[in-house]
Amino acid sequence: MPFQKKGPPTLAQLQPGEQGRVRAVSGRGAMTVRLLEMGFVPGVEVRVIKRAPLGDPFELRLRGYHVSLRRSEAERVVLAEAEARG
Amino acid sequence: MKALRVAVAGNPNVGKTSLFNLLTGSRYKVGNYPGVTVETREGGLRVEGRAVEGVRLVDLPGTYSLTPMAEDEAVAFRALTGADVEAPELVLLVLDATNLGRNLYLALQIFELGLPVVVVLNMVDLAKDAGVGVDARALEAALGLPVVETVARTGEGVPELAARLKSMAGQLELMEQRLVPAPEGGVLARCLADMGGDGPRQRWLLAGRAADRLELAAPSEAERQRVDGLDEEAVREAMAELVGARYAEVDRLLEGLGLGADAAESRDANVAPAMATSEKVDAVLTHRVFGPLIFVAVMALVFQSIFSWADPFMGVIEGGVGWLSEAARSILGPGLFTDLVTEGVIAGVGNVVVFVPQIALLFLFIGLLEDSGYMARAAFIVDRLMARVGLNGKAFVPLLSGYACAIPAIMSTRTIASFKDRVVAILMIPFVSCSARLPVYTLIIGTLFVADERVFGPFTQGGLILLAMYGLSTVSALVLGAVYKRTLLKSPTPPLVLELPPYRLPRIRDTLRHVWDRTLDFLRDAGTIILAVTIVLWGLLTFPRVDPSELSEGETAIERSVAGTVGKAMEPALEPIGQDWRIGVALIGSFAAREVLVSTLGLVYDIEGADEDDAPLRDAMREAKDPETGEPRYSPLSGLALMVFFVYACQCMSTLAVVRRETGGWKWPIFMLVSMTVIAYVAALIVYQGGQLLGFG
Ligand SMILES: Nc1nc2c(ncn2[C@@H]2O[C@H](COP(=O)(O)OP(=O)(O)OP(=O)(O)O)[C@@H](O)[C@H]2O)c(=O)[nH]1
Repeated sequence: MPFQKKGPPTLAQLQPGEQGRVRAVSGRGAMTVRLLEMGFVPGVEVRVIKRAPLGDPFELRLRGYHVSLRRSEAERVVLAEAEARG
Repeated sequence: MKALRVAVAGNPNVGKTSLFNLLTGSRYKVGNYPGVTVETREGGLRVEGRAVEGVRLVDLPGTYSLTPMAEDEAVAFRALTGADVEAPELVLLVLDATNLGRNLYLALQIFELGLPVVVVLNMVDLAKDAGVGVDARALEAALGLPVVETVARTGEGVPELAARLKSMAGQLELMEQRLVPAPEGGVLARCLADMGGDGPRQRWLLAGRAADRLELAAPSEAERQRVDGLDEEAVREAMAELVGARYAEVDRLLEGLGLGADAAESRDANVAPAMATSEKVDAVLTHRVFGPLIFVAVMALVFQSIFSWADPFMGVIEGGVGWLSEAARSILGPGLFTDLVTEGVIAGVGNVVVFVPQIALLFLFIGLLEDSGYMARAAFIVDRLMARVGLNGKAFVPLLSGYACAIPAIMSTRTIASFKDRVVAILMIPFVSCSARLPVYTLIIGTLFVADERVFGPFTQGGLILLAMYGLSTVSALVLGAVYKRTLLKSPTPPLVLELPPYRLPRIRDTLRHVWDRTLDFLRDAGTIILAVTIVLWGLLTFPRVDPSELSEGETAIERSVAGTVGKAMEPALEPIGQDWRIGVALIGSFAAREVLVSTLGLVYDIEGADEDDAPLRDAMREAKDPETGEPRYSPLSGLALMVFFVYACQCMSTLAVVRRETGGWKWPIFMLVSMTVIAYVAALIVYQGGQLLGFG
């Protein structure tokens, strides 16, 4: 990649099939609270299942259920490790 | 004795409605929560087909948490917390046994309220199949609350549940509020202390502040000051801590049930157990290539059903109305009263009932798509496109339906959670060219253009003009929607955060029941307005009455009516867009429904039973001359201007009646009528005047 994004890795950078551990949800307001309450709490494992045919949103799996998030929403979910695991 | 009021609460899609229907024997009233059109159902408990005195159930909208994001969740929040209605005496908390990992979060929030709770563990059949069977007794012990297992699809466990509820009437005690403790020495504990101590109230206020939804908790002045006094960063951290503490408690409970992370690890950690089959289905249904293809096929099916399958039924209704009019005419004999009955009342009832096939078919399909789980996938697939307008994927089906008819389309916007976004969709729908505009386009194209002339390749003049009208209406709807979303109804693009539930077999009975509810709702509420306006329009086109002998050569009775007078008075305004008073009268008549333009023009030109393919009406219009200049009255350019007017104008009282119903007042229908008419006029003006400047017409 020519441009490596600065800052901590987020869910939006994972490829389908990859998995990461949530460190925090950044930002403020209703969206942040909703993401937390849907289970994106620190320590939880999230896997990217696939992207929608048009590239966005993402289908994710966490806590035994599937949810879809847009890229802009997935960017708020900060992951613990730099490198994603497959 | 006061009835025991039981609120049925839970996450979306856990089977609440199925259970509610079983417990009430499907005998219930659909209520609308004051101010918003979020449905709640209320009905009495029935055991083995007999009513149980003193127990009433309310089915609340599904919610993921008690920090509501949209109107439907706010209704659940307000009903449970007793914000502006009395809180229920008992909560029937429905959990999806296949998904306790998320369902228990809401459960913990509900336990904080301190209301007595009966826990229903639903979908135990699916949980067993997926190998995540839950030991109900262990859950009961862990929660210290009664737990009943059910399968709402088949009714298993429901008699036990009903008996339990029956036995509880009259002997309830409030349980203590169970707060998941705030971690010691953390930010949460500090914030709560600053707010005067820990309690459910303080927790909502904190969540309300964090989510910018403080008003939902209806804080007192003192409370507001305390909450506002908290530091922004501290609120953020405290909220994360609070949610984290609850989820830690959920994990502890799951561990105790043998369903913890370790157990998940030892199974195939790559599959959510309840989703095993669904993931395979999704490999096709949301596939990069097949996904969109199947999506288009499904949407085409839905559209086809309301666009053409409804047709025979509508034909039967129209035939029935015609027959009824004839019968009334022959029984009553000719006269003013007969005209009122046939052209006012019977035609008005016909105007209402004619929508029923489309409404029923659309809601049947939507119900099946929702309950099976496909609707969430459809939203997943088109979300990217809808996000450009500022809406989420769920707005797609209502907009598509608009091409058939705005009435069912507007009714189906209830799937859109946020009220502002619903209004955006509602305002967009009437711009989409519905099927009632087709007869108008057909008449004008057939009369003023050489419809069959080849332009290039297989394309004819008529076909291309029609295509242009559909293109114009589609682009306009999308552009205006985007504009409304960014100005008048400004709100952030709704988050998607959309659950993709496992595929399930819908319960047809419940779906049909829903179709029935919505149809009745339309007949009762919008129907009365449509009937009344039909009668008023009939009056405008009929009075004052003139004796045929008084009419001068070429004059028709309609010319002397109120509508005729108004049409003539409007002529100065119509001339700049290339129309005359006759079109003005027809515009008034077509307010009943756009296609009525054709028959009203027939009355103006004194042609019996005109329809759009009729040669006599076309000839009369082609031959009509301007009395002053002797030029033909209508040119292709004035025809084009009239078509463009119809693309934009809200010439449909039924649309307005439904908008009133769905937005709960006259504000939006009036805005819609005025704005659409202004836009239509300006657009027609640009076409006609611009065309003349360029030397056409
Ligand atoms: N196999 C199985 N399916 C069920 C069970 N309970 C409900 N379903 C199905 O699950 C789907 C959702 O059920 P609903 O009753 O609409 O759920 P709800 O909680 O009212 O959903 P919302 O109103 O959208 O919040 C339907 O297709 C039901 O037929 C069950 O116990 N077992």
